Amino acid sequence: MIELTGIEKVYNDRSSSTHALKGVDLTVRQGEIYGIIGKSGAGKSTLIRCINMLEQPTKGTVIVDGNDLTTMPDNKLREIRKKIGMIFQHFNLLSTRTVAQNIAFPLELAGINKQEIEKRVSNLLDLVGLADKKDQYPAQLSGGQKQRVGIARALANQPKVLLCDEATSALDPQTTKSILELLKTINQKFALTIVLITHEMQVIKEICDKVAVIEDGVIIEQGTVIDVFTRPEAPTTRDFIRNIINHDLPDMFNKTTFLSEPTADSNLVVRLSFIGNSAEEPIISSMIRRFNIDASILYANIDHIQNTPFGTLLLELSGEQGAQQNALTYLNAQELGIEVIGYVTRFNRAVG
Amino acid sequence: MSQDLIELLVKSLWETTYMVAASSLLATLFGIPLGVILVVTDKGHILENLPFNRVLGIIVNATRSTPFIILMVAIIPLTRIIAGTSIGTNAAIVPLTIAAAPFLARVVETAIKEVDFGVVEAAKAMGASPREIIAKVLLPEAMPSIVLGVTLTIISLIGYSAMAGTIGGGGLGDLAIRYGYQRFRADIMIITVLILIAQVQIVQSLGDYLAGRLNKK
Repeated sequence: MIELTGIEKVYNDRSSSTHALKGVDLTVRQGEIYGIIGKSGAGKSTLIRCINMLEQPTKGTVIVDGNDLTTMPDNKLREIRKKIGMIFQHFNLLSTRTVAQNIAFPLELAGINKQEIEKRVSNLLDLVGLADKKDQYPAQLSGGQKQRVGIARALANQPKVLLCDEATSALDPQTTKSILELLKTINQKFALTIVLITHEMQVIKEICDKVAVIEDGVIIEQGTVIDVFTRPEAPTTRDFIRNIINHDLPDMFNKTTFLSEPTADSNLVVRLSFIGNSAEEPIISSMIRRFNIDASILYANIDHIQNTPFGTLLLELSGEQGAQQNALTYLNAQELGIEVIGYVTRFNRAVG
Repeated sequence: MSQDLIELLVKSLWETTYMVAASSLLATLFGIPLGVILVVTDKGHILENLPFNRVLGIIVNATRSTPFIILMVAIIPLTRIIAGTSIGTNAAIVPLTIAAAPFLARVVETAIKEVDFGVVEAAKAMGASPREIIAKVLLPEAMPSIVLGVTLTIISLIGYSAMAGTIGGGGLGDLAIRYGYQRFRADIMIITVLILIAQVQIVQSLGDYLAGRLNKK
């Protein structure tokens, strides 16, 4: 649906030039919710603006629904833009128009007749749950309500793509949740492709299918949300995920020295991560029974990424060295993520 | 007060009202588009054209920095071309308009610059053309401030029109000078001043009311 290839953007100022995007490739499939996360200044805002050419890329091609927007003349581009909805962090509603008139605005631009506009606006008001506010002005609405108007307005021309530019960043957590739910509903109901940018991993976790992490004008990591959350590679990605899923060792291990090789009286510390169905299998208890070892749970957490359960477990295994190694082999054979943190001498045990 | 004087007052009041109304209308007609052009051709805006913008800005500033009484006399040849004469009420409308239009243009420019650029961006993202952005976004959104700007312009014009006597334009200001000052008629001076104050009050109140009605913020 959307294909960005080799996108570069350079801003030239009188004295300096800023390389905001340094060659970004991105493919978004029909019906996907694609999240782009990055810190401020990473280039994510520029990137999403390149998709509807609010920013003209210095290099590269932008293809949306089979149309190459980079080479398109202005009047044709305007027609294409009518099929690409966009919502904004600060809503950008027209203050002199009522809710209904705001939603009607893109329809007026598209030259649709009055009766049809009225019909569509009333449907959209129902969709976003603002039928009772239709004659109010934006100044009379709360942030969440304003964003609902923004969403209704963006959907008015039945777009194929919806771009969300930090759409929930100005909202409180409760309102954010309800707006995200609305976006998810719309995505499923109309098979609408959604691209969103955010600096909050929570937003990605909540509704995205795929995620790209952007830093310093380059995409440093991308993939399905589950993959990136469970196996983050870049330090920045880990930073973002830290607030949601803890990949760090608990603080009490700060003073512990981990050995890379076992000693006669050492315990093994491993981190297990469970994704999907494996989270429901009794792997730990059968391991304890089969290998006659003890397992202390140092840290545990179970979370859901959308509908997929995802758990992390930090275990300290104690028992015969041979049994520990056998247990490790057993764990490696299971369908779960395993990471050996190291060996601690029993004397140094963190717990117990 | 004699019948003659009352007739003189009524005539002057009409002259002032006529000069101010006509020049306000013309100034609005030229000033608002000029203000819009000053904004949209500026850096980063929808019809960026910096050389044009700079030249226009210089012309506007030049007009605005010339004191009205000097401007009025200096452009007499132009007035003659446009109005067919350089003397009288109709002739006074030309310099009044030329002085007021750039003034209003700057006020309109400021008003439009106050419109959040995000709204312009949103309209662009919806496929609006520059013309649609001006007509459906910039002007309506800035309208309350523009109305106040027009009000301010009309009030300035009431003040300028007092100088129109210099080229035989007549009006209340001229009456006050010729009778109130030069013939020591304090009563006429006081009446004309009171009428001018009342005019300004009425215009300001109307402007405030209208702007208040338009403002939805």
